[in-house]
Amino acid sequence: MIPDLNFGWTSTVGEVVLGATRAEGGTRSHTYRIGGGTTLPFMEKNISSPSPLIAFEICDDPKSWSPIINEFCGDLVHDPGSWAKAAETTYGADLVRLCLTSTKQREFSDVPALGKTVETVLASTSLPLIIEGSNEPKIDSEVFQKCGETGQGERMLLGTAEAGRYRSIAAAALAYNHAIIAQSPIDINLAKQLNILLSEIGVPKDHIVIDPYTGALGYGFEYSYSAMERIRFSALKGDADLAMPMICAPSDSLTIKEVREADTEVRDATAVEWEFATSLAAAVAGAEIVCVRHPDTVKRLKAAFAGLTTRSGA
Amino acid sequence: MKGTFLTDVTLAKKTGNEQLKNKMASISREFSYEETAYHLPVSYALTGIAVHNRSTASDVFTKTSSNPLVAAECLLAEATAAGGNESAPYTGFISDTVIRKLGYSLVDGSILGLALLVGTPKSAESAASICRELQEKYMLTFLSGGVIPSLSSAGVKLGLDYRLIPLGSKPLHSVHFVDIVARVAMMFGGVSPGDINRLLTYAAERAKAIVIVFPGLSDEDIAFVDGMRVLGFPILSLGGYEGGDWTPATPDEVVRTGMDMKGIRVTVTAIPIPMACSPAFEGKSIRKEEMQVEFGGGRSPAFELLRMRNPGEIEDGKVTVIGPEISAMKEGAAYPLGIVIEVAGKTMKKDYEPVLERRIHNFINYGEGSWHVAQRDLIWVRISKEAFTKGVKIEHLGKLLASKFRMDFPQLLDAVAVTLITDQDKVLAGKKDAEKIYEERDARIKGMRDNDVDTYYSCTLCQTFAPNHVCVITPERPALCGAISWLDGKIAYEISPSGANQPVEKGALVNAQNGEFEGVNRFVKKASHGEIERCSLYSVMEFPMTCCGCFEAIALMLPEVNGIMVVNREFKGLTPSGMTFSTLAGTIGGGAQTPGFAGISKNYILSDRFLQGEGGIERLVWMPAQLKEELKPRLVPLLAAKGHPDLFEKIADENTAATIEDLTAFLARVGHPALVMKPLM
Repeated sequence: MIPDLNFGWTSTVGEVVLGATRAEGGTRSHTYRIGGGTTLPFMEKNISSPSPLIAFEICDDPKSWSPIINEFCGDLVHDPGSWAKAAETTYGADLVRLCLTSTKQREFSDVPALGKTVETVLASTSLPLIIEGSNEPKIDSEVFQKCGETGQGERMLLGTAEAGRYRSIAAAALAYNHAIIAQSPIDINLAKQLNILLSEIGVPKDHIVIDPYTGALGYGFEYSYSAMERIRFSALKGDADLAMPMICAPSDSLTIKEVREADTEVRDATAVEWEFATSLAAAVAGAEIVCVRHPDTVKRLKAAFAGLTTRSGA
Repeated sequence: MKGTFLTDVTLAKKTGNEQLKNKMASISREFSYEETAYHLPVSYALTGIAVHNRSTASDVFTKTSSNPLVAAECLLAEATAAGGNESAPYTGFISDTVIRKLGYSLVDGSILGLALLVGTPKSAESAASICRELQEKYMLTFLSGGVIPSLSSAGVKLGLDYRLIPLGSKPLHSVHFVDIVARVAMMFGGVSPGDINRLLTYAAERAKAIVIVFPGLSDEDIAFVDGMRVLGFPILSLGGYEGGDWTPATPDEVVRTGMDMKGIRVTVTAIPIPMACSPAFEGKSIRKEEMQVEFGGGRSPAFELLRMRNPGEIEDGKVTVIGPEISAMKEGAAYPLGIVIEVAGKTMKKDYEPVLERRIHNFINYGEGSWHVAQRDLIWVRISKEAFTKGVKIEHLGKLLASKFRMDFPQLLDAVAVTLITDQDKVLAGKKDAEKIYEERDARIKGMRDNDVDTYYSCTLCQTFAPNHVCVITPERPALCGAISWLDGKIAYEISPSGANQPVEKGALVNAQNGEFEGVNRFVKKASHGEIERCSLYSVMEFPMTCCGCFEAIALMLPEVNGIMVVNREFKGLTPSGMTFSTLAGTIGGGAQTPGFAGISKNYILSDRFLQGEGGIERLVWMPAQLKEELKPRLVPLLAAKGHPDLFEKIADENTAATIEDLTAFLARVGHPALVMKPLM
């Protein structure tokens, strides 16, 4: 028996547009409009909303990247442009998420180089971009200014704003019309508070994507799931301050003991299993974007989403 | 300027406006700026009209009732079209790309505000020092007119890198300052062109801009500079002018006055003292052997007091020590100490004094080598030998307090000054005055009733683990954890308007006895995500408040004896209900509403509202002996005042009644009033 899927919800999740085509002032081949849901994912009678998007994460300095991925992707990890291209053409991702890990270096100061990397990646892929900026509050201002300016017109998604650290990224979003990721540490109240702070500084609600923070499966993901569920319930019940699409990045999955210490012959498979299971759970909890690092996870997720959005029989 | 000749601003304005009007009539050329999508930005922001020639210019001038800023903008644009751009260092009109970067720095907080310096300073040195101060205070400064050559002659470096931007050689060029603000409003403030109201609100509330005027402005210049007042920019004059609504100032204080007027605050990030300062040290105590000197604690007179002053009465960051410093004190001895903190701020209120005063305790304990216990005239403060060796002085406690108050309450406080008194006679005198103030405060808070206010405060801090829990805090019912009073809730809301403490409008009364209000119900329903429909503030039986898990005590009904018992967290044994505190807590916590059970703070037991819905404190039949003892000094007189001088003895505890059977017998024996009250169920 199919249970009653009418929960008496009155509101919808807000929409955020990512990417801009030439006609819209950017250079992307297409754009995405994420959000807009009226119920929980995969539960609509007549499926109209698209599957969650899959972002493939790359970086500009693989030193801090998982050795499993570095080995699997080979030389690509030293060439963000080609890596981004592979994400689009070979791996089949919907989005590219560029993490500027070079900013993790001690006394990092080569901000112009970041601009060049962003330019290269923009030129190498036609997919809409997510840029993960500075890792160091001291250089936030310069880094986000540079990223925002370089991607002007492209309507990128910039990450990541946190409660004590959101001004620079908000400024970049406002100055150059990008959307931003607002992350809170698995806490619905802090998520809401950050969204309010961002609104107060002038960031429109349709430029905010919530990152509820994704714990690794078996290492706290259930808290993330519960926070996401409650964020989505609140949105559907009418809380405008939480009615934004969500993004999840289960990258912690690659650093857990089970994956790190897996036998060489099953290492990739194990990494994919953990990324896949966490991402799928996040999608079921309501994530509009899931971000992964292992190329094989992309295919697994695509297949799973296809299965979930195809309704046979009744 | 010659001698004492002063220009009358009001008169000059009149003449200047006339002159601007005449010149507007003589505009003949076409004109436009390059690299902007905002045409003449001031005119465009005000009216939505793109001005490029005589007819559009006069259209906008008429539509804005002959606004002198519009006139100045049009005239400057025409003059620039005719004469070309001025050569370096003058920037002239600044492109949108650069404005986007400037706006970025404003939103980002790396620039705190904007300043305009216009006119010709009498002394290049004093102009240079004003610029230095603006640079130090993270202001971005624009210059126009004679001030530019004057600064150059004093060797001041100009340019965006130095946050000193030379707009142009004439005062008229300062209209670019306004076109920058107009564009920032349109780019970042969501102001649509032509939406005057939105623009004015943005300029007044969000644009942190001040104008500093040197002598030498013509009547026309005065007219349009004065026109900036409409945008809420204070105009500060450094001599040469009188009348009008300009604020006279001296070079030494002009920057501070201007920043104060616009509420631009420099945030404190580092505390200049020779010891570490962090909440990490809060729990560290200083034992007798480790101590260099101590104050109070019954060994010497000591007190602390925080007072509100009017803005301008105190100098921010000023620390004064009255009496001997630590170097003149004997090791291991006790000395008198008075800590007097004076604060000022536009939103500061007298009611907040005691709440802020409590923070002295935390802040002094943040110091790695300083320690503080108790409050008011009972304080006990120690400074460690280690800190003393590192050079910590009494003065540094003052610096620590002044900095921490400003850091933790940036929205509330604009200025904090600290006086530390170590002179015995002065401490005794100060203590006497302070005691009077403590009494006044007690009387004020004591007198505060739920009926006196229209607004209560919520607390949803615990929703992290109890998702639908909502505390409603009233003057007579503190939060169930006992940690947050109504005043605390109010101040927390002021400090962090989007935080976990929100105002709750009481609204219409639904049930006076139970303390149920429409507004409270509305709020609770929303804040509990639709889970809780009704909430009575004073009832355990009907729609009691939800419980998170932090309650100091639990009040629950005992149907067998028609009464209510209270058990506090510290009590480990079984209660007459057959359950321990922790079993009970597990049953009612997690954000649920459980009729018959309520999580409460200990102090609430002493409130007139306690058990009001059930007929009052006469329902109270059982409490653990330790809690009874703790409350005794306050509870006995309170019961007597209510006409029950013997009720305290009639309340059972674990010694007189361990089980429900014992309790029934005990209550019958003493003739407890609950037995004959209206049935609870």
